[in-house]
Amino acid sequence: MILLKALLLYLLAFGQGIAGEAVLTEIAERLAKTPIAHGDFHQQKHLKVLQKPLISTGTFTYHQNKGVIWKTLTPVASLLLVNESKLLTGQGEQAVPAAFGKVFKAMLGGDIAALTEGFSVNATDQKPSWQLELTPKDDMLKRIISTMVLSGDTELRALEIQEAGGNVTRISFDNITHPAQLTGEQEADFERLSP
Amino acid sequence: MNVYHPKLTAGLWLAGMLLICILGSQALTKDWLETSFLALLPTSEQQPEVAKAIRQHNDLNNRKMIWLAGAATSREAIGHAQKLKQRLEQSGLFSKVTLEFSAQQYAGQYRQLFPYRYQLLDQKTREMLVKNPEDLIRQNLEILNSPIGQMQAADLERDPSMIFGRYFSAQNPVKLNLEQGIVVLSGQQRFWALVLTDLRDDKLQLDKLEILSGLVDSASEQVKTAGGELLVSGMALFTAHGAESAKQEISTVGIGSSLGIIVLLWATFRSVRPLLLSSLAIGSGLLAGLVISVLFFGKIHILTLVFGASLIGVADDYAQHFLCDSFGEHDWDPRKGLKFILPGMALGLASNLLSYAGLGFSPFPGLQEVALFSAIGLLVAWLTVVLLFPLLLTGFTFGHDPAILKLTTYWEEHWPLWVAKNRRWLGLTLAVFIAGGLWILTPQDDVRLLQSPPADLLRSADKIRQLFPMSPDNQFFLVSGKDQAEWHQNEQKLLMRLEALKQQKALAAYEGLSRYWPDANRQLQNYQLLQQKLYDSGLLERYMADLGFDQTIVQAEHKQFAEAEHKSLPLSEWLATADESKRQLWLGCDSGRCQSTVTLTGINDINALSAIQDLPGVAWVDQVESISALFARYRIRASVLLLVAFGLASLGLGVKFGWRGGITIMSVPVVALAVSLAMLGWFGQLFSLFNLFALLLVLGIGVDYGLFFFMAGDRRVSTSLGVTLSALTTLLAFGLLAVSSTEIVHAFGFTVTAGIITALLSAPLIGLKENKK
Repeated sequence: MILLKALLLYLLAFGQGIAGEAVLTEIAERLAKTPIAHGDFHQQKHLKVLQKPLISTGTFTYHQNKGVIWKTLTPVASLLLVNESKLLTGQGEQAVPAAFGKVFKAMLGGDIAALTEGFSVNATDQKPSWQLELTPKDDMLKRIISTMVLSGDTELRALEIQEAGGNVTRISFDNITHPAQLTGEQEADFERLSP
Repeated sequence: MNVYHPKLTAGLWLAGMLLICILGSQALTKDWLETSFLALLPTSEQQPEVAKAIRQHNDLNNRKMIWLAGAATSREAIGHAQKLKQRLEQSGLFSKVTLEFSAQQYAGQYRQLFPYRYQLLDQKTREMLVKNPEDLIRQNLEILNSPIGQMQAADLERDPSMIFGRYFSAQNPVKLNLEQGIVVLSGQQRFWALVLTDLRDDKLQLDKLEILSGLVDSASEQVKTAGGELLVSGMALFTAHGAESAKQEISTVGIGSSLGIIVLLWATFRSVRPLLLSSLAIGSGLLAGLVISVLFFGKIHILTLVFGASLIGVADDYAQHFLCDSFGEHDWDPRKGLKFILPGMALGLASNLLSYAGLGFSPFPGLQEVALFSAIGLLVAWLTVVLLFPLLLTGFTFGHDPAILKLTTYWEEHWPLWVAKNRRWLGLTLAVFIAGGLWILTPQDDVRLLQSPPADLLRSADKIRQLFPMSPDNQFFLVSGKDQAEWHQNEQKLLMRLEALKQQKALAAYEGLSRYWPDANRQLQNYQLLQQKLYDSGLLERYMADLGFDQTIVQAEHKQFAEAEHKSLPLSEWLATADESKRQLWLGCDSGRCQSTVTLTGINDINALSAIQDLPGVAWVDQVESISALFARYRIRASVLLLVAFGLASLGLGVKFGWRGGITIMSVPVVALAVSLAMLGWFGQLFSLFNLFALLLVLGIGVDYGLFFFMAGDRRVSTSLGVTLSALTTLLAFGLLAVSSTEIVHAFGFTVTAGIITALLSAPLIGLKENKK
């Protein structure tokens, strides 16, 4: 994933030596490099107030310039579209703290500046797999997220978000492909994000 | 005048002026200058409650200024905005400078409203519950499973159905992106950090306006040097620009015309005495007019000053007439001169005072001010000429033959002859010219035409509107009812219509209190709706169990719902939690009437909106339109007053000189006025209320010229010089205003120029038969 790679390179440059330079370079080199990525996701949310996890599945599409399509298929079909300035859901444009939308997009390889500005990074490399642990520096963000863990090999395979309130979200990614072009439907979805 | 005591009269004048100076030293130390445009309008024109609503709406809007600091990244934009905020705070011009929007305010609001959550439903949720409550459950699942769901379901334990979350988020319909608590907008290839300010005063004094423009310029420069861009908009900036450019133009024109007048008078008299004397006459008039008007009205408007000062310019006629009379005889002395010219000057003064008095009878405060100011000013200027000049002109003679005298003498001899020879085709041409011009002449009363804001201000305001479509337009609705329940009902009906229009893109957004605050009836209905659809139907219980809520939480939720049955949120309490812009919508209840305003943003189809008049208790308020209509009404009234002034002047002259003489004299101003109007028509100039001031000046001057020539007898040569000098100085003083880019000032100058030139051309044509031997 080219953006994750770019992110790693960025961390390499500005990571203030928290992660070993060599480690980040190696991880970055291992990642697939294309502008478009598409795959399935499986998300488990553990909310403290609920006794069982909320499980949803669907597909995601990432485009380097256009943003992310997060298409939930079960249990309720819904669509979430996000780029650096807008966040659309079935309920229309959403007022969420910008940090959250940005982080979400950056997770799948989006706004690098936002991620690296706000997080300290801890990287471990057990070839061929790797793991990055991000901890927010910003107080506002700290109140929402305690840590985020990204792991993968040549692709991002899993993402874990530990919220400050104790809720945990685990997302795993499968069947990742790197198509050369977006489908018509995907184009149309991204079109809705443009002002 | 039989008794001629120059020293005595000069003493009288001095005593009078001293008195005025003493009064002035008290009156002019206070804040006496009014700059607000609305102060010119009669208060009786508006119903008190509409006036109150307009005042409140304007008070809020006129003080608001929006600043957007733009840069390539949001971090830079925020940096610019932080520096900007500091500067703005230091300037002391603002009562409030907002950059960070504190989360605490929202948290407080959430806490205060939360206990009433079963009474408060937003429109969409209510519709969903009525139509198909399953949709609400489905939407909840969607939200909970969404990667951003945590944000929307942060209070899931206390608000399991998320109804309050929905209501709370609907309170702020425009979703803004916050970074470090700062609103960051994106668009036009930049990120923009938002700073909102409230000016300390809604009516800024001129000096403050200057400071404000300076601040905007230097702040823009600062952001620009740092690689960013600053956009600013606010009513105050338009006012500041208007005041500044008018001031600048008036001073440029002022310097130009002063120079011209000095050169002209020097060339004629080769002495500074005439210049000083006429300046003294006009200056005394201005001072007296100002002092008396301020004493009488408390405050006078800047436009009164401009137009009033112009009308006092008529006084120049008297000074020039007196001065030029000295050319009439070789053994001239002030006593003889005064004796000769006094009757004409007295009549001229009387007719002018009569016509100004006409203005005073209009209910338009602006016109009343101008009437008093000019009448006093003219009277004092005239008195200065009559009382003081005899003493100061002692020994004033001419040892030379100025070139201009030869010119005017030649002119005075040949022009009437030439006209007489060619009167057939001249008369015909003039008649066609006047008729055609009047035919084309169309009044333009749209108040917007009077403003000429610079393009870059408009561009900034436009950009800001696109980026941040939040500031309400000028037009709004006023909703009333005999009690809160009726008011609420009326406003709800209006909001439904507005929602439909919004769907049709007739407007971008609207804001009304009843959208957020349900009245007691509606609160009860909301509760019952929840009871029927969610709680009693078992739907909520099933949903909560499916999600995995603990049974104790389910029971606690039902218990809380049951306990909240008789809760009701009073409007006052709701308002206390609301932000300022919403609080301002409520106008309160008194004497059996409750009122609110509904503001509108991004109006596209004003006709569709103004058509909503059929709803009970709903009034459409369009200040621009109503001020324009007011201008139209007063243009007509002022025209009638002008005709009355003509009538009075004609009557007075008719009594004195017989109807034939009266008509002869009045033909000068009549032709001048007709040509002036026709010129406005032919050149497609702005014709509004304000031109009538110029026409009044033309009337006054025309009557003077007519009178002077009518009574000139064998002194036509000196009269011709006096009239020509007077016309040239008037043209220099006011005609030059025609070059102004401020519409009102330009229209004034144009009208005066056309009228004075015509009066100058037609005056020598009368009074001929009586003395041609």
